[in-house]
Amino acid sequence: MRKRLSQIISTLLLGTLLVTGCSSEGSAPATSTQTATPSADATAPAASKVQDIKDGINLATDLSKLPEAAAKRTDTFIAGLTEPGGVFNPFFYHNGYDGNVTSAIFESLVDVDATGKPVPKLAEKWDVSPDQLTYTFHLRPNLKFSDGSPLTAEDVAFTLTILHDKTYDGETDIFVASIKGGREYKERKANTIEGIKVIDPQKIQITTEKVNAKSLVLLGGQVLSKAYYGKEYKPGNLEYLRTLHGKPLGAGPYKLEAYIPGQEVRYLANEHYYKGKPQVEHFIYKTTEGDALQFIQTGEMDYNSFTVNSDNIEQLQELGYVNINLYTSSAYSYIKFNHSKPFFKDKRVRQAFIYGLDRQKILDLTYQGYAQVANVPISPVSWAYTEDVNPYAYNPEKAKQLLDEAGWKPGADGIREKDGQKLIVHYYTTKGKLGEVLIPIAKENYKELGIQFEAEMMDYNAVLARTEKGDHDLASFSTTMLIDPDDGVDAFSTKKGKSGFTGTNGYSNAKVDELLEAGLSTLDIEKRKAIYKDLYKELSDDPPYILLGYRKILSAHNGKIKGLEPNPFTGISTSLPGIKIE
Amino acid sequence: MTSYFLKRVFYMALTLFGASILIFFLYALTPGDFVDTSLKLTAERKLELKAMYGLDKPVVERYFIWMKNALQGDFGYSLQYQQPVMSLLNDYIWNSFLLAITSTFFTWLIAISIGVLSAARQHSWFDALVTIGVFAAMSLPVFFVGLLFIKLFAVDAKLFPAGGMMMIGSKETGLTYAWDVVQHMFLPVTVLTLLSVGTLTRYFRTNMLEVIQQDFVRTARAKGLKEKVVLHKHALRNALLPAITLLGFELPALFGGAIITEKIFNWPGVGQLYMQAFSVRDYPLLMGFTMFLAILTVIGNLSADLLYRVADPRVRLK
Repeated sequence: MRKRLSQIISTLLLGTLLVTGCSSEGSAPATSTQTATPSADATAPAASKVQDIKDGINLATDLSKLPEAAAKRTDTFIAGLTEPGGVFNPFFYHNGYDGNVTSAIFESLVDVDATGKPVPKLAEKWDVSPDQLTYTFHLRPNLKFSDGSPLTAEDVAFTLTILHDKTYDGETDIFVASIKGGREYKERKANTIEGIKVIDPQKIQITTEKVNAKSLVLLGGQVLSKAYYGKEYKPGNLEYLRTLHGKPLGAGPYKLEAYIPGQEVRYLANEHYYKGKPQVEHFIYKTTEGDALQFIQTGEMDYNSFTVNSDNIEQLQELGYVNINLYTSSAYSYIKFNHSKPFFKDKRVRQAFIYGLDRQKILDLTYQGYAQVANVPISPVSWAYTEDVNPYAYNPEKAKQLLDEAGWKPGADGIREKDGQKLIVHYYTTKGKLGEVLIPIAKENYKELGIQFEAEMMDYNAVLARTEKGDHDLASFSTTMLIDPDDGVDAFSTKKGKSGFTGTNGYSNAKVDELLEAGLSTLDIEKRKAIYKDLYKELSDDPPYILLGYRKILSAHNGKIKGLEPNPFTGISTSLPGIKIE
Repeated sequence: MTSYFLKRVFYMALTLFGASILIFFLYALTPGDFVDTSLKLTAERKLELKAMYGLDKPVVERYFIWMKNALQGDFGYSLQYQQPVMSLLNDYIWNSFLLAITSTFFTWLIAISIGVLSAARQHSWFDALVTIGVFAAMSLPVFFVGLLFIKLFAVDAKLFPAGGMMMIGSKETGLTYAWDVVQHMFLPVTVLTLLSVGTLTRYFRTNMLEVIQQDFVRTARAKGLKEKVVLHKHALRNALLPAITLLGFELPALFGGAIITEKIFNWPGVGQLYMQAFSVRDYPLLMGFTMFLAILTVIGNLSADLLYRVADPRVRLK
């Protein structure tokens, strides 16, 4: 009887975890670090059953098992998406899921490939002047918005202009590109932006004041129609745009057919798309909360993303009719040091904190093998990734030695002391799987070194607010999806100070500052590679963070859908125009 | 009656004023705001945005701005959805209402019938069975039953849809659409009813038992009235009286959304919207919705009291 009871209880517990862990990840460029804290069964160790699953697309084994509903569907592709909010304008949404919705409707001049390198889209090609300050985009001939109206350089100029408006409240920071005359426009000292020149309908020239490797993708972003979005535009007033958020007009592969709040977003193929009308006529983003495996099981849905764990992979494999996509995320997770605390001023102490933490074990227990230890602040999928840094393999002896060298000697109670101060650190994290696993291991690891580790779990916003105030020693976070390598390191710049992702609270390293600057001041990827290699070495030696890991992202799609290749940077949006249903 | 009513309305206004202060300051003093949760912004940009949204003003001033607009029926723009809070709630709240009103109807129907029956046959096997069943239903967690039902009835047996409010991509209108929604409602309504029927059944059973033992029921029986008439006409009416108060309390719950149930069954209700708003600190939406619920609670209370006066002459005399 006792045994039965415990069985029932454990089933119930597992159920709770299933429900609470329902934060669908991966399908969206998530806006928060909650992506770092998925949860599933809390006790299962690293999986062994599903070793045959590789990175990339694992093809379906038995399409005959396809549920009737899915087999019957020939002109509709249905993907799952967590809660879009209805702001379908690429420059105004505040919710990453709205970003997914918009990316099917709007097309950009330049896109990035699976390694984060820029590739042409609406722009056929671009020239950069020898001083790398002036960009000339050459638009493809006969571009059209989905209503058939022409897309010209004027539209590009208009899009860039409203991003400079004083009342623009979206999250795109166009000033990163430092377009000439941009500040003046914002302050209403000029009526136009000096650096933006429309040469002819197919050619636009943009002059910037500072070389920045991120400018190209930023300037070559999605395009808004001037005729549609600019009708009522007066500098200093963007209020009117709100009424258009629900009625988007773009040049992407699909156009919006209907948005039913909380339920679905329906699209129709855009006949004016520059690559030709997509073959699949209807596309639907169905709002789902969590993994929603049941919709794949009943055949109502073709694509969804899942929390990576062996249970989910096993279940998907058993279905037989889905292609399982496994790829490494472009984000990384980390624990940040508060560099304004005296004990973290000495880099040997920080190094000791990394050597002394069994990161491999933490990741294995949290992600069951579907994550790898991070040693550079960029994901292995990026062109800038390198392994040529100190791997900081778990080594408590080395950590102890470093602490000794730094002058932290064990006190009477076993806790290290220096100048009468005990080595007691306070760590904040959000509720979730990673925290649950990390806290006990870190406590034990650090106790062995003579460090007292005090952990507290709290709501994500509370962690953010407290760390911004500097009211912490250690706190864990994860980045959002990172496209340019600079996105993963810009927080380390002294100039950025506390801003950037969540800041470093006082990290300062002149060489890092210099390399960060250098990394942005050329557009040549080969040169940048070398610079980032040096930067990562320096960061490895004088660590601003304890880097934790790169997670895998899991998604699955009905095997009938051909040509769908989820991409760590852009998700499924890049594949949309080329999908076929067999 | 009029002076009583006016007095009540005055107290109502006072309660709401208190509630608005509480709601506003609870949210305003929670660490982090909407701008803070945007990770990609620079410090400078954050300050600009805070100024744009009025988040840089002193808290007390922000309260009065909010109050002034709210009194004019303007609860502001949701920061995340860039839409007026009221129109946004309007998109979701009726879905929650539909689910709640249906399951409340069935809950009361079942609870009253079972409650009356088991009270009439106190200590019978039926009564014992009901008591056991009631406790079982009360102790099951909703997510467990929900997931179990999806597995059994949707995925395996394919009797009902696995979630949502309509077939994906369905363009049906009129009756076929209504039928589609009814099918999608079946599982969530069953789960909600199953789990809330327990408490209510116990409530009615106890009430009935109490009333049955009273003198007027004994008198009615002594007069030789049929047991059916005694139970339904005399006892039940009196046993139902206290339920009016209970019904008043249901009002905010009807619009509040059953967060977990909506989540499990992917129902496009207001509960999910609320959770989402909370995670990004979309204060206008949160405050607007909470205030709306506070208003409903107060109205529910008032109408319960007024109904009670109509139903029970003894209250009227006081």
